[in-house]
Amino acid sequence: MTLSEEFVNAIVNLDEVKAIELTRKRLGAGEDPLKILDDLTRAANIIGEKYEKGEFFIADLVMAGEIMKEVSELVRPKLRELGRAREPIGKLVIGTVEGDIHDIGKNIVVTMAEAAGFEVIDLGVDVPPEKFVEAIQKYNPDIVGMSCLITVGIESMKKTVDAIKAAGLRDKVKIILGGGRVDQYACEYAGADAWTNSAAMGIRIMLKWMEEKKKR
Amino acid sequence: MDGGKEEEVKRVSVQPIDEWIERHKKEPDAVAREKLERFEKAVELKEPDRVPLMFFTCGHVFAKWFKLSEVYFDYEKMREAIAKFASLFPADVFVSAPAAEGFILAVAFADVPQIAPIVRFITGPMHDILRDRWTRWPGRELPEHLPFQFIGGEYMKPEEYRKLIENPIEFIHSSVLPRACENLSKPGSPQYAHTIAKLALEAINYFNALNNISSTLIKLGFPPLAVTFAYSPLDFIGDFLRHPTGAMLDIRRYPHDVKQATEVLVKPVLQVALILKPVGAKYAFIPLHLNEMLPPKLYNEFYWPYLKKVIEELFNNGIKSFVLFEGDHTPHLDTILELPRGWGIGVFERGDIRKIKKRLEGHTCVAGGITPGQLIGWSPEKIEEYIKKLIEDLAPGGGFVIAPGVAEIDPATPSENLRALINAVLKYGTYRR
Repeated sequence: MTLSEEFVNAIVNLDEVKAIELTRKRLGAGEDPLKILDDLTRAANIIGEKYEKGEFFIADLVMAGEIMKEVSELVRPKLRELGRAREPIGKLVIGTVEGDIHDIGKNIVVTMAEAAGFEVIDLGVDVPPEKFVEAIQKYNPDIVGMSCLITVGIESMKKTVDAIKAAGLRDKVKIILGGGRVDQYACEYAGADAWTNSAAMGIRIMLKWMEEKKKR
Repeated sequence: MDGGKEEEVKRVSVQPIDEWIERHKKEPDAVAREKLERFEKAVELKEPDRVPLMFFTCGHVFAKWFKLSEVYFDYEKMREAIAKFASLFPADVFVSAPAAEGFILAVAFADVPQIAPIVRFITGPMHDILRDRWTRWPGRELPEHLPFQFIGGEYMKPEEYRKLIENPIEFIHSSVLPRACENLSKPGSPQYAHTIAKLALEAINYFNALNNISSTLIKLGFPPLAVTFAYSPLDFIGDFLRHPTGAMLDIRRYPHDVKQATEVLVKPVLQVALILKPVGAKYAFIPLHLNEMLPPKLYNEFYWPYLKKVIEELFNNGIKSFVLFEGDHTPHLDTILELPRGWGIGVFERGDIRKIKKRLEGHTCVAGGITPGQLIGWSPEKIEEYIKKLIEDLAPGGGFVIAPGVAEIDPATPSENLRALINAVLKYGTYRR
């Protein structure tokens, strides 16, 4: 097993101590920090697959996200030192929709999406439709993520999608919904492209979208 | 906020719901008796005369007609709102608790039985008294039209598990309440003492308000359910002490501490739940939060053994648990079969309700079947068709209650959709004799 494989396995096995230790080892050996970050994308993909198969649960994603965050924090200074930056896989604008101030789910997505290589613009909680529209105009993201925990969020998601349509921006972005009360019916009602109850699946869907976009 | 207009929608023909509403007006006592019998039969895993329908709300749906800031901070408005919803959209079981999660307060005052069960939920006025950071309220931290929201937070450091384990109630008073409630920040200060005194007085106010609400509902044909409250020990840690994310990380980082703490919390949780036993409590509400988030291995080790202990002990005391299985509980479904047959009611939010019913048939009363997403987005015709099929598949064998999961009904849900749901239950829910 290569060091890189061992590292990816440590993350997927949620072995925090080992993943950190291997990160230090790789950085110490002068390995390209971008390679370590690419391994995070690989790990995020495997974790998404495992979630899809029912082998991973939210508590696993929280742990995985935490490990990836710690690894990124170790790698970042090295990257800066070398004057290098990671080419983002894609750009994601995300927020908890208007009326809802819960952020646990959204924060897991932010952590995992960043680790997976996305540039993430986090609009926070209770984000009104016009703020989403403004952010799309300003940042030109590939994907818009909307999160909610309570049911009032479903109506807000619809209003937000409608506002994005009215601003003529609907074709420019893919829209994904996430959160405890979200289901296929809420997705149909709101007019989004995809929905998920888990960050891992969300990341996988977004990575797939970016691949499709690259091919076009 | 279009409820007023919708109520005036001209109805061409009288629907079953209209006849039922009439009966509520004419003979509320008989209707209430029928409802209670219907529900109790389902809980006993039998076939009642008709599949019961159950609604829960913490009041979000009242935004159809009322400013939520008024509903939550004025108990009389709260009573009006509950009565309005109950009259327009009658269900067999209607449980409304327009107040936020506050089980930690019940544990904190477990030795004061007059207060503990009442402060189990934090009402708007109690929030004003405590200035707690667990919850956010309309007209306070939130705009007036929004529902209150529970956000929890981290009020205990991982290295403090030892203190929690040594003496949970002492630790809650000395460390957690001062951190989580602005007005309890200095134990021993006049402000602290005054806040506790005011909280106790408010508990009496709320107790009286609950009695008023209950008599209003009885007059409208809604039977009171004698309920008490319990909690899953690991959720207690996630919701009030460590934040759910913190609790999920702690299981992996400090497994020994987490396990000991959950074990220690069983006792105060049961102490609170059994306070209402002498006054006839029959059901214990237990909302679950971390359940679906845990992989079976962790669920079986850190969550379930302690929740199971709580449910079993309540059952031994003649109290059936009313467990809200949040999210998709399917991966943990089989553990429910470890409980004694007829232990209580499982309300399920996601997952295939047909598979759930089949697995638990003859063992557990299953409630659920329709989601807020379906209720808000579908047409009345589609809802009727869906409920008809649901009843055909799940009513046989009994032990089934239709409910929109564990979540709130969205105020934007068209009134016609709620009527369609009730109509369909009335039309197709009758058991053939």
